[in-house]
Amino acid sequence: MRFRGVSAVAVGWTLLACVAGCAPAAAPSAARAAQDFYAAVQGGQAERACALLAPEAAESLRAGGQSCVTAIGELDLPGGRVLGTEVWGDEAQVRLSGDTVFLHRFPAGWRVRGAGCTSRGDLPYDCEVST
Amino acid sequence: MRRFVKDNSLSLFFLAAFVLALVGQSFAGNAAVNADRLAEGGSALSWPAYVTSSDFAVDVAENWQSEYLQFLLFILATIWLVQRGSPESKKPGEEGEENDAEQWTGRHAAPDSPAWVRAGGLRQALYGRSLGLLMGLIFVLSWLTQSVTGTAAYNTRQLAQLQDPLSWGEYVLSADFWNRTLQNWQSEFLAVLSMVVLSVYLRQRGSPESKPVGAPHEATGVEG
Repeated sequence: MRFRGVSAVAVGWTLLACVAGCAPAAAPSAARAAQDFYAAVQGGQAERACALLAPEAAESLRAGGQSCVTAIGELDLPGGRVLGTEVWGDEAQVRLSGDTVFLHRFPAGWRVRGAGCTSRGDLPYDCEVST
Repeated sequence: MRRFVKDNSLSLFFLAAFVLALVGQSFAGNAAVNADRLAEGGSALSWPAYVTSSDFAVDVAENWQSEYLQFLLFILATIWLVQRGSPESKKPGEEGEENDAEQWTGRHAAPDSPAWVRAGGLRQALYGRSLGLLMGLIFVLSWLTQSVTGTAAYNTRQLAQLQDPLSWGEYVLSADFWNRTLQNWQSEFLAVLSMVVLSVYLRQRGSPESKPVGAPHEATGVEG
């Protein structure tokens, strides 16, 4: 058995595992997108905040007959400083001091798919707005 | 070239089948993942992005690890365990690693035996177990790859569904990891069992995986 063949197999598998399994270095941009969203909400820039929501999240706010711009101002979105960020594939979770935000990476960039979220243990987070 | 193809037609056939199946899996898997992503309010993944994603990698790795485990266990089990009547088994009474004369090792090595056999010592001992060692190594690396890529794929799903991600340590104890692992293992073990038992009673004319058509059911370790 040739050792070169064995080491090639081992290197190949390690690379495969890393390429597909290692989280990309996208945490800062996901955290920035979450902070931009909260800056817009807390700054009264409802149109900008709605533009930073995932399309289906924005659509869910129109369910009660209101526009996203009107509804977003009535939500309980405490925000806060960034405590930690997890990025897996095209999904991100940003934990803030008062809130947790979930984002999805669209071709145009990160968009909020869940905000004003509180943990329910193993169940999905309960969010003020979500897809 | 013609001689090369003829002499290696078995491996070339399965190499082609493997490549076609893997390519087909990549397209079917891409479509399946995109259906989920769009249903969750996300965006579709391109084919190049999908084949470098954890979703594709875990679906490949979970199948590879079970195949190599199947071969590893079959190679090792057939050293010491027998099945009377099966062409997949040694004859009862022949259990064990066998002596030098039976294995063409030591002073019984032939002039054209592989170099490490003629070298003797540790190299011969290692070479004499190289098939199981390599199958075992690929199994371990595939299973490790499944666990790493499975963690990434699972966590991607978790976040898409507004749930917390798991660490690698938490994932390898999770239902998702063991469901993927055991559903593959059960089918591999069933396949070997089927082959070992069915080949006692059924025949396939011309295949070395079968006994000769006219061989009795009790004949063990004979090839067609």
